[in-house]
Amino acid sequence: MAAPPDDTLAALLGESSVLAPAGRSAAAIAELSWWLFGGATLIWLVVIGLSIYAAYFGPRAHDEAKVRLLVVGGGAVIPTLVLAGVLAWGLWLMPQVKPPLPQGAVEIEVEGLQWWWRARYRAETGETAVPVANELALPVGRPAVLRLTSPDVIHSFWVPALAGKMDMIPGRETVIVLEPTRTGVFRGACAEYCGASHALMSFAVLVMEPAAWEAWLARQAAPAEPPASAAAQRGMAVFTEYGCGACHAIRGTEADGDVGPDLTHVGSRRTLAAGALPNTPDDYVRWISDVHEVKPDANMPPFGMLPEGDLAALALYLDGLT
Amino acid sequence: MSGRDKLLDWARTRPGESVQEAQERRLAKAWETPTGWRYWSAVNNTEVGLWYTVCAFLFFLFAGVLALIMRAQLAVPDNDLVTADQYNQLFTLHGSAMMFLFGVPSFEAFSILVLPQMLGARDLPFPRLSAFGFWCFLIGGVFVCGSIYFDAAPKGGWFMYPPLATEYQDGYGNDIWLLGLSFIEIASIAAAVELIVGALKTRPPGMRINLMPLYAWYVLVVAGMILFAFPPLIAGDLLFEMQRAFDWPFFDPDRGGDPLLWQHLFWIFGHPEVYIIFLPAIALVATMIPAFAQRPLVGYSWVVLAAVGTGFISFGLWVHHMYTTGLPNVSLGFFSAASVSVAIPTGVQLFCFIATMLVGRATGNVPMLWVSGAFAVFVLGGLTGVMVALAPFDFQAHDTYFVVAHLHYVLVGGVVFPILGAIHYFYPLVGGRSLSPRLGKIAFWLAFVGFNLAFWPMHISGLRGMPRRVFTYEPGMGLELLNLVSTIGAFTLATGLAVFLWDVIRPKGRQPVSARNPWNAGSLEWATKIPPPPWGARTIPAVSSRYPLWQQENFVADYDAGRFYLPDAEEVKRETIITTVIDARPIQCLRVPGPAWLTMIAAGFAGGFFILGTFELYALAITCGALATATILAWLWTGTAVEPEKEEKDIGLGVTVPLYASGPASVGWWAMFITMIGDMAAFAGIVFGYYFFWTVHPEFPPPGSRGPGWEWPTIALAILVLAWAVTMGAQKAIRGGRERLGIALLAACLVLGPVGVAALAAGPWLTGMDPTAHAYPATVWVLVLWTGIHLAIGFVAHAYCLARALAGRLTARRDIDIRNTTLYWHFMFATVLVTVATIGGFPLVS
Amino acid sequence: MEDRMEDRSDAARREEIPDELQARRETIFMIPAAPAIWAAHFLASYITAAIWCAKVAGRTGALDGARWLVAGYTGVALLAIAIVGIWGFRHHSYGDATVPHDFDTPADRHRFLGFSTLLLAALSFVAVLFVGMVVVFTETCR
Repeated sequence: MAAPPDDTLAALLGESSVLAPAGRSAAAIAELSWWLFGGATLIWLVVIGLSIYAAYFGPRAHDEAKVRLLVVGGGAVIPTLVLAGVLAWGLWLMPQVKPPLPQGAVEIEVEGLQWWWRARYRAETGETAVPVANELALPVGRPAVLRLTSPDVIHSFWVPALAGKMDMIPGRETVIVLEPTRTGVFRGACAEYCGASHALMSFAVLVMEPAAWEAWLARQAAPAEPPASAAAQRGMAVFTEYGCGACHAIRGTEADGDVGPDLTHVGSRRTLAAGALPNTPDDYVRWISDVHEVKPDANMPPFGMLPEGDLAALALYLDGLT
Repeated sequence: MSGRDKLLDWARTRPGESVQEAQERRLAKAWETPTGWRYWSAVNNTEVGLWYTVCAFLFFLFAGVLALIMRAQLAVPDNDLVTADQYNQLFTLHGSAMMFLFGVPSFEAFSILVLPQMLGARDLPFPRLSAFGFWCFLIGGVFVCGSIYFDAAPKGGWFMYPPLATEYQDGYGNDIWLLGLSFIEIASIAAAVELIVGALKTRPPGMRINLMPLYAWYVLVVAGMILFAFPPLIAGDLLFEMQRAFDWPFFDPDRGGDPLLWQHLFWIFGHPEVYIIFLPAIALVATMIPAFAQRPLVGYSWVVLAAVGTGFISFGLWVHHMYTTGLPNVSLGFFSAASVSVAIPTGVQLFCFIATMLVGRATGNVPMLWVSGAFAVFVLGGLTGVMVALAPFDFQAHDTYFVVAHLHYVLVGGVVFPILGAIHYFYPLVGGRSLSPRLGKIAFWLAFVGFNLAFWPMHISGLRGMPRRVFTYEPGMGLELLNLVSTIGAFTLATGLAVFLWDVIRPKGRQPVSARNPWNAGSLEWATKIPPPPWGARTIPAVSSRYPLWQQENFVADYDAGRFYLPDAEEVKRETIITTVIDARPIQCLRVPGPAWLTMIAAGFAGGFFILGTFELYALAITCGALATATILAWLWTGTAVEPEKEEKDIGLGVTVPLYASGPASVGWWAMFITMIGDMAAFAGIVFGYYFFWTVHPEFPPPGSRGPGWEWPTIALAILVLAWAVTMGAQKAIRGGRERLGIALLAACLVLGPVGVAALAAGPWLTGMDPTAHAYPATVWVLVLWTGIHLAIGFVAHAYCLARALAGRLTARRDIDIRNTTLYWHFMFATVLVTVATIGGFPLVS
Repeated sequence: MEDRMEDRSDAARREEIPDELQARRETIFMIPAAPAIWAAHFLASYITAAIWCAKVAGRTGALDGARWLVAGYTGVALLAIAIVGIWGFRHHSYGDATVPHDFDTPADRHRFLGFSTLLLAALSFVAVLFVGMVVVFTETCR
């Protein structure tokens, strides 16, 4: 397929192929996969060739004693040996694809919610954790330990290019280890059916050089900068007036809600609403005024009653929170 | 003339009538199918089996149409043909209907239809039970499927994971799923019991276990699997509905529950379910292949091995649906190992079929085309199955379109294609006329090409990151072309099925009746004349080979002339032969009941119980439940353990067998035994819940919570063991001819049972355990509830025996009621013991 | 079709049946014996590991003790299945007839039950080995 234009949602969310791995675990699985596909093709050709020969081209009456050997050999012995080998390989791979928790890893707590992602980077120097939403960044070459939970229903955390998936189960904490091996943007998605908008629950993982990642994290940890333009200042007032802060936090302002995504740096994200929209001022307008058109049953109430000017100002403000 | 005189008149041989003509006339009278509106009171396997099959097929078409709507929605990215909510209803209902209303029932339906023919029997041992099961199936199926027309269909997925399906989806949809399908599961279990008894006890004399048709082996294995797989789901449904309706927090982590408990219970059912659906289709292949190759199947014992082996191992696979739930690697490894080993018997079966074709002379025909296509599709599904059995690969493939492709390759290749081939193959046996080879070929090629176009690209969609159950996807991910091709393929497949359907329903009046045994098969079901007469077997044959039509000289001539067993219905009653399990020696001439409305009425009331319960109309629901119970009791009273007019009957070839049997010699005892095995499986599911909570919680019972204590449970145990002992005493008294003592003891049981239940409930009641507070009290209460309901049924059984004894129908010689009741109470003893040990004893040791 | 009938006028059909075989009550329960041992082994291994990781070692602990236990179960199960298999083989090779054991005689029924038992024992043996393999490759509860 031709590469998509850069500003489409798919391009913003990044690569998402199991067979183009960018992480250790995914690479191990991809290698296993190619061998399995090759072996399966071979077996399929032999077995189906044999059965077509037997059913449509076979000369009459093969010797039954010899055919019995075929049943024993082809039906029982060879499959047993092949399966034993494949099983052993699978078991041997397990510690690579689901490894013991590494030392010195980036530690992130990730929550899946209907239908977005909340994450907190655990601080390494005793400062408070850095909250982010719907977008993660990881340093290349260093393992990251993600502790996965869910406060509502079961979700599943999946970044095909980096690793297999891991469910997020209410009442439990599961762990996944990611170890990116090349930089890039990689798409993640919820893989467990989680209600009406299960299809609209994606996120991007930005894999960066360590220095760039440090800068990214520092940026995310910082409070929001006050709006510069008058229009954006009006947008900030609208934000306060309509009580958006009851659900959303913008660090550095009064808004400290904990129900929806932290918006401190929402303008810096590649997409809006967990991969449902690109991130332009128009998209903010669409999302805020018509939430349920974009994402059925989402918990945020639509604010279509806002005057057009207020809405545009609000969009401008949010878009500027980089 | 009175009815009796009329029958006597029928029984007389008329002047000028040959012996054979008279026999056939009497058989025809005894097995006459009711006409007009009374047709629907029929219970004979040929009618019930046909209705059942047709309904299962209609549900298949319904679920297929739902799939087409989904494919239309996914044809292009960002489509809005249906809403997210509608899409979620569609896929939930598609999966549920395919699994519960087509997969399992089609096997049972078809087996009810043809198993007796394959065994040369006139009917299954419990025709009214089959009819009851069918009506339950129809009512439940229409209820569940109809919900989508009211935009009220279940939408939690066919797997209904909590907490989404328990707490985050309002409306009646998920309740409809739970109660409607529980109702159908009960019907499925009833049919399974019937089929097991049928395969074990209604084989023709001489058909030793090494001569049994392979189809019957598969029936035994699959029905046995249903018996162990469905009950845990019913247990799970009970917990689920208690949470939805009464807020008992089995799956709520905030109150000590765990969503994973449901996943365990569901997949303990759900994985064997796949094999429950798949094995019968393989059984059909094993039945048809010898006819294609014109020689006996190579490797009979190997196929038996494969069937039994698959049956067992399929119960060790359930966690492979839970590889990504974060269980320890070692647990994943065990299930990976079992998932891989189950491929071995599957390979064995396939090679036995290929081997048979190799040594035989293939006769190309339409059913064989379907079977060949099935191989090509199924083998690929099996190979991707081995891939997803490996946990590392599954971490990526799980819950993506790769798995959608895999499961459809397995189920369409392994189930739908063989079934379509079998419909083509068996059509003359049921419909009297053949299907068109030309239309058959067109249908096959459209379906085969369409299927592969639809599902092969999904492997790639999945690997490119398309998760399952998404109502839309965005452009630019490389999914557009793949999905468009899938949609085109799906509609091509549907066109093929439409051609097939047309071939089945097109008027065939001008077409000649099919030749007898048109495929020149060797198995018993083709002995019958076409179109088949209502009595099934003209005479119940003496069998001495696996393929009597090929291997026994003059078989068809002897069969037509009625030279085997029971060629006649001297008393104009429906009769078939009961034989021993291993060597099929005749031991009883069983009179089976004829048409009745009671079964339909009982199913209607039972349906009312579940349907009204769904809408929380509890008073009406309980009334319906009581009426259902009363109807079933009336049915038992009038239709079972009927007093024969003589002790023994000459069934021909110098063999005389009794007309009445009880205990292990009777089919009723076997049915009770087998049913209770299934009941124990459900009970085990609930007990599993208790110990599961103990395993996942650091401390269980939770610190500071009050249990029911050990005192009351122990008192309950003592009383109920006494009730059990007194039941055995009553049986001994009645069988010893001391009927009055027996009556007194039964009366005592009527007191002991309820007192025992009260003592059992006293523990959690008096200690104030609140089932809504935490999973611990909820689990204790649900065990008490389960045991209490079973003891209530035990009470009804005691009361029934007492009434039968008082009416003079339960005597030393006619003791089947008390023997079955005693058998039931043996299982009650086990239930009570485990319940008491768990709720009273386990907190003390843990 | 005639040749098929002739095929069956085999010596086995008319073989002398010793009284003990005629009279003996055969059991069908040896057929599921080996897979039942597999099931018991499987459950025991799974439950042992689950309880070990939940209650003893913790979710990241070592699997040591549980590995030895499972290895022990595997040894016992393999031995038991071997015994069942030998029982089946003896039945299968009763007299001098060979497969397909499809005659209407007590002897062939006897051989068939033995042969099926033997085949299932072989399958169960492999399946138990597969389960046993898991603890060779797995060292921790992760």
